[in-house]
Amino acid sequence: MKRTTLWSATTLAIPLLAVSGLSTAAEFDGVTLDAKLIGGQQYEALYARIGDWESETGAKVNVISKKNHFELDKEFKSDLAAGSLGWCVGSNHSSFASQYPSLYADLTPYLTPEFMAEYVDSNIAASKIGDKLVMLPRAQFDVSALYYQKSLYEDAEKQAAFKKEYGYELTPPDTWQQVSDQAVFFSDPPNFYGTQFAGKDEAIVGRFYEMVVAEGGQLFNDDWSPAFNSEAGIRALDWFVNIYQQGAAPKGTTSYLWDELGQGFASGTIALNLDWPGWAGFFNDPESSKIAGNVGVVVQPQGSAGIRTGWSGHHGFSVTESCENKEAAASLVSFLTNEESQTLESATGPLPTRKAVWEHVVAEAEGDAYRTEVLQAFQAAAEHAFPAPKTPYWIEATNVIYPELQAAILGDRTSAEALEVAAEAVDEMMRENGEY
Amino acid sequence: MTRLFRRLPPWLALLLPAIVILLVVVLVPLLLSLYSSFTPYRLTRPESLYKWIGEYNYVKVATDANFWMAFGRTVFLLTVALNLEMLLGLGLALLVNKVTWGQRGLRTIMMFPMMFSPILVGFQFKFIFNDNVGLVNNALQSLGITDQAIAWLVDGKLAMFSIIFAEVWMSTSVFAILILAGLFAIPRDPLEAAKVDGCTPWQSFRHISLPFLMPFIYIAMAIRSLDVARAYDIVQIMTNGGPARRTELLWTLIGRTGYVDAKMGLANAMGYISIFLAIFFTVYFFRKLNASRTALGYNA
Repeated sequence: MKRTTLWSATTLAIPLLAVSGLSTAAEFDGVTLDAKLIGGQQYEALYARIGDWESETGAKVNVISKKNHFELDKEFKSDLAAGSLGWCVGSNHSSFASQYPSLYADLTPYLTPEFMAEYVDSNIAASKIGDKLVMLPRAQFDVSALYYQKSLYEDAEKQAAFKKEYGYELTPPDTWQQVSDQAVFFSDPPNFYGTQFAGKDEAIVGRFYEMVVAEGGQLFNDDWSPAFNSEAGIRALDWFVNIYQQGAAPKGTTSYLWDELGQGFASGTIALNLDWPGWAGFFNDPESSKIAGNVGVVVQPQGSAGIRTGWSGHHGFSVTESCENKEAAASLVSFLTNEESQTLESATGPLPTRKAVWEHVVAEAEGDAYRTEVLQAFQAAAEHAFPAPKTPYWIEATNVIYPELQAAILGDRTSAEALEVAAEAVDEMMRENGEY
Repeated sequence: MTRLFRRLPPWLALLLPAIVILLVVVLVPLLLSLYSSFTPYRLTRPESLYKWIGEYNYVKVATDANFWMAFGRTVFLLTVALNLEMLLGLGLALLVNKVTWGQRGLRTIMMFPMMFSPILVGFQFKFIFNDNVGLVNNALQSLGITDQAIAWLVDGKLAMFSIIFAEVWMSTSVFAILILAGLFAIPRDPLEAAKVDGCTPWQSFRHISLPFLMPFIYIAMAIRSLDVARAYDIVQIMTNGGPARRTELLWTLIGRTGYVDAKMGLANAMGYISIFLAIFFTVYFFRKLNASRTALGYNA
């Protein structure tokens, strides 16, 4: 009799624990998971929690690679080529994920719908390739909002001069046309520039992509043929060309990536800067920034189609298709992106991807006017966010497109010519890849 | 197995480990990469290695204007950088050769730029030539020479100049050291005889020192031509071939095609065409080397 009671109690307990997402002690005893994770000081706090998961489940995690995403990307490609896919958990990024359609497993079977509903819906949507949930988003969500120097807008002389020249009040811009007007108005090269933009690699194509969307166009048609050589595409590229040709951005901007842009705005020589949330603390820190205390943030402006820009990306963790212990790996991935993990990670600034954690960080910022302004701007920015086009050839397409965008910006070609050349090259590339 | 080894002539048995290692390390990868250049091989799709597409990649590369422009730019960089390095290295070696006190110290100091990793040299010059916060522009503006922000890494000509400047800064000492070794090896007798005969210093240099130095110069040229023909690290860091392909060289293009776009088959085809450039310069300089040695009577 005694034995029967004990048996039924245990059978009842196992499903209960599984549903609640908790792991039974030593659930994965003896299991070892090899992981390839994104490396960097800012990620270490989260990785310290791996020990907690190990003691909770009895499994072991063996981190066999820690590199930045570009290096990891090359390593994953080499692994695919060599067939060395013995590892289980990998860091992933929404902009890279679609390049490895066969590498990662669908996580849906390992998660309850309730657990998945706790993430921000748009982040979960951006983590899917087709219907396959290839990663769980961590608290490293990126969308850009517009940083600006407050003092420029408080100067009565500037306000009057601007209104006289442009016929409307000088306030932080809400459209990209206003950004353009104000950037030209504020510029005084080579000492001060109205704005700046990332000028090479995937970065400039990403910026162009969101501008095309804001102008009512799209980068690709549904069959992945190029669609950016359109009226909207030309308007979008003209925005960058005009800014550059009118001297409203530093001449070197075509060689700038995120670091140069962040350092440039912090040096106090840039008025308006569309940038990522990770820089918010840096810009307002007197140790690193000449404009600390003078930084404002608003939601990113809208294009002529009334749509806001919003190219976004997020980090995540994935489980390989070849992993022998997918259940354990999925448990680790869930653990690293659960509420506690995201609360820990977002405490230092990065944006969360879980609803409850968003509420938590906004509440935490109460009393800190700058942090509150930043969070409100980025929470609004997140509502307009959209991921990079989900084609395995996104990065390859950006490599074909960006030299032509640069050629237009530098004046070697007109916007229409540059986009036509880029479209032809993308079309040939997509055909070669058997897309259509 | 042992019997098989016994049957081999001793020289072959002794050379066999070296031959096997050479086959595995050099020949097999070479053949594999040659084979893959006839396939649409992508790193992310291993199965594409088994699809034969004939000379498609070669035709694509041969008809690609961007590839030939990169090829032309590489030849330009090679020609300008090698000649500048040779002239500056020769001057430096002649000056150091005149120094009677502290020459060893000077020789060591001269080699400092060679001790830096090319990646670090790239970062260093990227900062120096930055249009906004760079040293060069700040210096020019502070001295009142210009009130403009000169876009060193953006303007087509200036960007190439900046890259050549970085290459020359790092590698002039290769020439200087090799030429200095040549200067040490020149016999004193002909120089003294020329002096007695009333030759001017220029005449002794032109007709005696320089012919003796030529073999050393050509060796340095051959080594550096291989280095510059595969220039990658400095350019990758300073401009990444941009903007708008203005500084695109063969290996930045091949590197991006192979590793970023993952199109290894196409990249290998580009590599095989590019290899002719390196072979051409090596053969050319070795011929020159032999001719100059013959002129000195070494090959007789």
